[in-house]
Amino acid sequence: MRTLAALFLLPAVVVLTCVVLYPFAYALVLSFQDKTAGLPGRFIGLGNYAELLADPDFLLIFGNTVWYTGIAVGIKFVIGLTSAVVLNQPRRFNNIYRTILFIPWAVPTLIASLVWLWVYNEFNGLLNLALVRMGLLKYGIAWLAEPEWAMRAVIAVAVWNGTPFYTMHFLAGLQAIPKELYEAAATDGAGDYRKFWHITIPTMIPIFTITLMLSTVFTSTSIVVVNILTNGAPANLTQILPNASFNITTSAGRMGLGSAINMVLFPFLVVFIILLTRRLLRKDEA
Amino acid sequence: MALTQSASRRVAHGIGGVILLVLIVWTLAPLYWMLVTSLKDKSEIYGAAATLWPAEPTLENYRVLFADTNFLIYFRNSLIVASATTFFSLIIAALGAYALTRLRFPGRRFVARALIYTYLMPSSLLFIPLLIIIRSIGLQNTLEGLVFSYLGFTVPFCTWLLMGYFMSIPIELEESAMIDGCTRLGVLLRIVVPLTVPALAVVAFFSFTLSWNEFIYASVLVTDVDVRTIPTGIPSFVVGDVFFWGPMMASTVISAVPPLVVYFVFQRFLITGLTLGAVKG
Repeated sequence: MRTLAALFLLPAVVVLTCVVLYPFAYALVLSFQDKTAGLPGRFIGLGNYAELLADPDFLLIFGNTVWYTGIAVGIKFVIGLTSAVVLNQPRRFNNIYRTILFIPWAVPTLIASLVWLWVYNEFNGLLNLALVRMGLLKYGIAWLAEPEWAMRAVIAVAVWNGTPFYTMHFLAGLQAIPKELYEAAATDGAGDYRKFWHITIPTMIPIFTITLMLSTVFTSTSIVVVNILTNGAPANLTQILPNASFNITTSAGRMGLGSAINMVLFPFLVVFIILLTRRLLRKDEA
Repeated sequence: MALTQSASRRVAHGIGGVILLVLIVWTLAPLYWMLVTSLKDKSEIYGAAATLWPAEPTLENYRVLFADTNFLIYFRNSLIVASATTFFSLIIAALGAYALTRLRFPGRRFVARALIYTYLMPSSLLFIPLLIIIRSIGLQNTLEGLVFSYLGFTVPFCTWLLMGYFMSIPIELEESAMIDGCTRLGVLLRIVVPLTVPALAVVAFFSFTLSWNEFIYASVLVTDVDVRTIPTGIPSFVVGDVFFWGPMMASTVISAVPPLVVYFVFQRFLITGLTLGAVKG
């Protein structure tokens, strides 16, 4: 049975070693090297990290990453829970509404970002056309270029694309709560409001945790939305760490520094990854 | 003064309806704009005469897209890469998931854990070393290189989802087949796979869309125009600072169609599938 198991697992283990585990170890090593594309690397210890800490832009970008992730995850959570609760109300044509609200999940993030780039267009975008015609604005706003608006506009796109993931999980969670719990509470004289806070929310906590953690990992490490919409502009105000690493690596070829930028985020990710793995495995054994 | 139960429920229902309407508008508005722009003439897209709906719908943007750009090449490449990735991940994941759910061997828990770690490992962290590795084995600028790299995120995800489904199959079915002389591989192919066709469809959908959408690896591993995929091809329609929004929106419509069609057709499976695999209540 051992040989058989080994044979069955061999392809997966080989692939994952080649394209995930080995590259990860390699990335760690690179972050301690002065390595430029096409040239051999030179070990420089903590040199890359020191360079980052001395750069005021780095602290800005680090803060942006935390802000972008925190706000996007928070809004997705609120809209996702609201959508799930509304979709869980008895209503005619509910399956049609559900289908519509889940659509952004099936739209590739790159496509969503390009479409929103056009919606935000200063002169001919839907947002400005609509606001100007409704008389709410005199002239269109350059949403992605105004320091005040750029980050909000970027976050809105991440929220648009990412909310259905939450709605789906939460709706499934709501529908899995046993009806008896609510009936028992009703016999005890509890109203809808109390039922929501004393039954719905507590029962959903495990789902909240898993969804939030998964989404935090994915949101903080995905570069597409930022890369397409602003690529960090104006003046790095919407820049996030993974996209900064991408830019430094692709345009300047500085692979060592690029790896170090990503590694800064890694300790935080590790905490989430370990907690998540533990939860997913526990659920698996139950 | 508290409202009666039924009155408060009606209020909640009404508020819910309003919220639903807002959410639907928010969800559909950008998609409406994409579709409508792709059907507009230049004069309706730009300038003072810009319209909110097309006065004279035209397919001109689609003609430009197919005749004057490399879109068809990108589309074909994406199709090849996504199909090949899906094919290989299904095989690798089915074998792996079967071993992890049905065979007892030392280190089983360790492998299951490692699988989740690799699934959560962000590609934004791996693309730099991966570029060096793919280059050194001569797969830079090839579709094979992309497929190989994409297996890094599709295999852990697919294996993980399939493990959930395989566990739901009663083990007695397999045991009786083995008493009848069926081998393990035979059990997997004749019993487990036919019983989990919907699950395999879900898993196939995920690996297809994940590789259809992939952006980071595609931008660093491939630079030649004739091996570009949609995610790196479409943004290159921007020439300098000039966007050709008409053809660009036509291309996004076409690129969004395959995942959307699959979503509409299989949504029941997809949603139960996703929640079975990711949330068990």
